[in-house]
Amino acid sequence: MPAATMAVMPVIEARELTKVFRRPDKSEGLRGSLRHLVTRRYTTTSAVDHVSLSIEPGEAVAYVGPNGAGKSTTVKLLSGILVPTSGEVVVGGIVPHRDRIANARQVGVLFGQRTQLWWDLPVRESLALLRDMYGIGPADYRAQLARFDEVLELGELLPVTARKLSLGQRMRADLAAALLHRPGIVYLDEPTIGLDIAVKDRVRDFLRRLVADGTTLILTTHDLGDIEDVCRRIAIIDGGRIIYDGGLDGVKDTFARERCMHVRLTTDVDPQSVAALLPDAEVTPGGSPGEFTIRFDRFVLTAGQVIATASSLAEIDDLLIDEPAIEDVVRKVYSGELELEPAEDGVGAGVGA
Amino acid sequence: MAARAYLCMVKVSARTVLTYRANFVLGLFAVFFQLLAMLYVWRLLLESGKDFGGYTWPQMKAYLLVAFVTSSLVSAYGDFRMAARIRDGLVSLDLVKPVTYQTARFAETVGRAALELAVTFAVAGSIALVTGGIPVPDLPQLLLFAVSIAAVVPLKFLVVYLSTLLCFWTQNYMGVAWARTSLVALLSGSLIPLVLLPSWLQTTAMLLPFASLTATPAAIYLGQATGGEALGLLLTQAGWVTVLWVAGRLVWRFAVRQLTVHGG
Repeated sequence: MPAATMAVMPVIEARELTKVFRRPDKSEGLRGSLRHLVTRRYTTTSAVDHVSLSIEPGEAVAYVGPNGAGKSTTVKLLSGILVPTSGEVVVGGIVPHRDRIANARQVGVLFGQRTQLWWDLPVRESLALLRDMYGIGPADYRAQLARFDEVLELGELLPVTARKLSLGQRMRADLAAALLHRPGIVYLDEPTIGLDIAVKDRVRDFLRRLVADGTTLILTTHDLGDIEDVCRRIAIIDGGRIIYDGGLDGVKDTFARERCMHVRLTTDVDPQSVAALLPDAEVTPGGSPGEFTIRFDRFVLTAGQVIATASSLAEIDDLLIDEPAIEDVVRKVYSGELELEPAEDGVGAGVGA
Repeated sequence: MAARAYLCMVKVSARTVLTYRANFVLGLFAVFFQLLAMLYVWRLLLESGKDFGGYTWPQMKAYLLVAFVTSSLVSAYGDFRMAARIRDGLVSLDLVKPVTYQTARFAETVGRAALELAVTFAVAGSIALVTGGIPVPDLPQLLLFAVSIAAVVPLKFLVVYLSTLLCFWTQNYMGVAWARTSLVALLSGSLIPLVLLPSWLQTTAMLLPFASLTATPAAIYLGQATGGEALGLLLTQAGWVTVLWVAGRLVWRFAVRQLTVHGG
């Protein structure tokens, strides 16, 4: 069955992909600059360090990491902008940096911080230029504009010169520009950066539809809302290396070990007595008597143990367990305090061996 | 399909020039005043009665006007824009478009050049009329001249393009642009006719593509090169366009490997 073969054939395949940048190492001042002319010193940094990724058609992958972790560099390697120092990359059967133009036809790229619209032209003209570049027929072009108008309210932006657009408007127009040729593979590098909530929601809604239509998506973002809304798989990169690659739920299971339970008992119980029974948990009194918040490591205590302990003191009136947020995990990665020891039952943890 | 895209880019860049017409006109002004100064200097020199390569005053006027047209061509802002995009890494956005970078930049140049030609010919024509006319060659010679002017567009584009690609290594364009401008002005004959240069410099200019930029159209306009000689000059222009086009593609391939767009 063709569907079965499709499922095992990755559309994006990166193996041990590495990009080393060489920067001139100049010491301070004129003297440093002069010295650099004579003895050249360079610092090399591996922006992307032996990254392997395998993405199947129709997958939506969140690509997450702190500033300078190598996210954009990876996207640039995948789109053929940069030539890798070592390693291999194949996208839709094409080596991007070797066959840049063929790759450009199958891929849509958006760099949220930069516009690909022609700065001095009305949006309509930029799109018409792209239409001609990609050889899009008039009927298809009209259909695409109608689609973008429906989701992104593009119509009102068409007559506006690109440099006069607000950030949110620009992003909507840029999304249309990146997706006009119906690319099967889309890289979005921070598509919601600097947008207000209303526009953000609209963009996310649009991305969800895109994924539902079967587009393969790599989404680079700092906005964790984007991830939970759109992606089911997450790859976390730090210092150029992929430190996790797997399901969004898996990352929570693996790294979000802390659970938080809010308990209300029918009678007033001293918080100290609860804490005494649960020495491994952190117990804080709630707003009213008999209310507690209990934080515990789910690999030390189970929720059942916590509930059993609480109900041994008094009857439980109400119980609420906070959903572990992907945000907590990613925040830990960003602040560099993520414990890189996945639990035994962790799903697909791609910790660098 | 791709041809339509390049055609569209030609139109778009012409429109961009019109959007920034003040900038465009001011840029021409600079060359225009330089032209006026040259005209005055040469009138004084020729009135002194000395011989300068056998040029009469009307011929020298014609020479300077041709030089004005050729040095105004492919000069408006395109190279600075390209250099800035390379330096700021914005060139990466050009790389995700399904067009050949060099051809795309050439298409933009052609769009601008169409307007540059229209305006500079109008200016040159008016000056010729106001200052008492210049010799006009017969029709076949005029056609050869038109071809030689048309060839200046790709040729000058390639000289500019190749020097702008140096930005991938230098990260700074000002120095490159100045060096190129001086070199082209001297060796193309747009500053002074090549016959007035020392012979070794003349030979150098003739061996390089620069003479094809101004000396060739001027020689054809003034009838210094006719028939087979004129055709030979046109073929030389075509040869240089071919060689430099291929060189551009090769240099680009190396240049793009220099690309280090920083970012997280």
